[in-house]
Amino acid sequence: MVINDLKLALMVMEADLEVIPTPVLATSGAERDIFFEEMYETAFPAVASFVRQMDGSFQDAKDIFQDALIIYLERSTEARIIINVSSERYILGISKHLWLRKFKEDKQKLSLNDFERTLYIPTDFYPSIRSNRILQFLEVAGSKCMELLRSFYFEKNSLKDVSKKLGYGSAHSAAVQKYKCLEKIRESIKEKSVTYEDFFE
Amino acid sequence: MRISLNNICEIERYVDGTMEQHEAILFEARIQKDSLLRMNVLLHKKVLALVRIYHRKKLKMELEEVHNRLFNDPNKFTFRESVMRIFRNG
Repeated sequence: MVINDLKLALMVMEADLEVIPTPVLATSGAERDIFFEEMYETAFPAVASFVRQMDGSFQDAKDIFQDALIIYLERSTEARIIINVSSERYILGISKHLWLRKFKEDKQKLSLNDFERTLYIPTDFYPSIRSNRILQFLEVAGSKCMELLRSFYFEKNSLKDVSKKLGYGSAHSAAVQKYKCLEKIRESIKEKSVTYEDFFE
Repeated sequence: MRISLNNICEIERYVDGTMEQHEAILFEARIQKDSLLRMNVLLHKKVLALVRIYHRKKLKMELEEVHNRLFNDPNKFTFRESVMRIFRNG
């Protein structure tokens, strides 16, 4: 057990040293559109074959693939670790994890290889009903703020680009607006959270 | 307003880890004593978590568009066939 953990740790370290060939920089919908289509053509067939093997449907393959692709995009733009495998292998590995999360009983049928075992799936990927409910409210009451915060924190646009894309006069006014939005959304969540536990989810 | 925006700026730097170490230690000491600050730090994390969920939801919508295009566009016939073949037979 200890030896296996050590092996895994070493592997992760080795992976850290590799340089990622093509970091995914998709800060706008138009850039992602091209990236998504490319990924569909290169990585979807392998995921579809895997899902078919597990007796899944086309719809299952589509759902799993799309979620895996979103996780891949997230990991390659945000994570400090460097992805040194092909995007196809990475997406297939994530898909296997997502499949096991949905169909726990398939654990016997499906074995993950050493690389696949090191993959990380965000724990909050499938949000709670409560989070979804608050989000639905925010999408209506704070849509401009949600777009601004999304653009800065998750599309990784600079404040200058945020100001251009969303029509704020300057990087400075986008920065001020960002703080106002953080406060506004924070206060909305506070109002909408009935119990203290709501904050922790 | 200005004071509260400064507070948010501080919370943001603490949460995203860009605060200097000595500053972060002082900030943590304040969190211990100040329950409102403690709650605002938690809420800040919750805001970011919700924006992330929002971002994923939007990405999913973009993917839906790409999917529909690929599975309807006559130019993508070969790709479509190669996928559909997987689900035929057996």
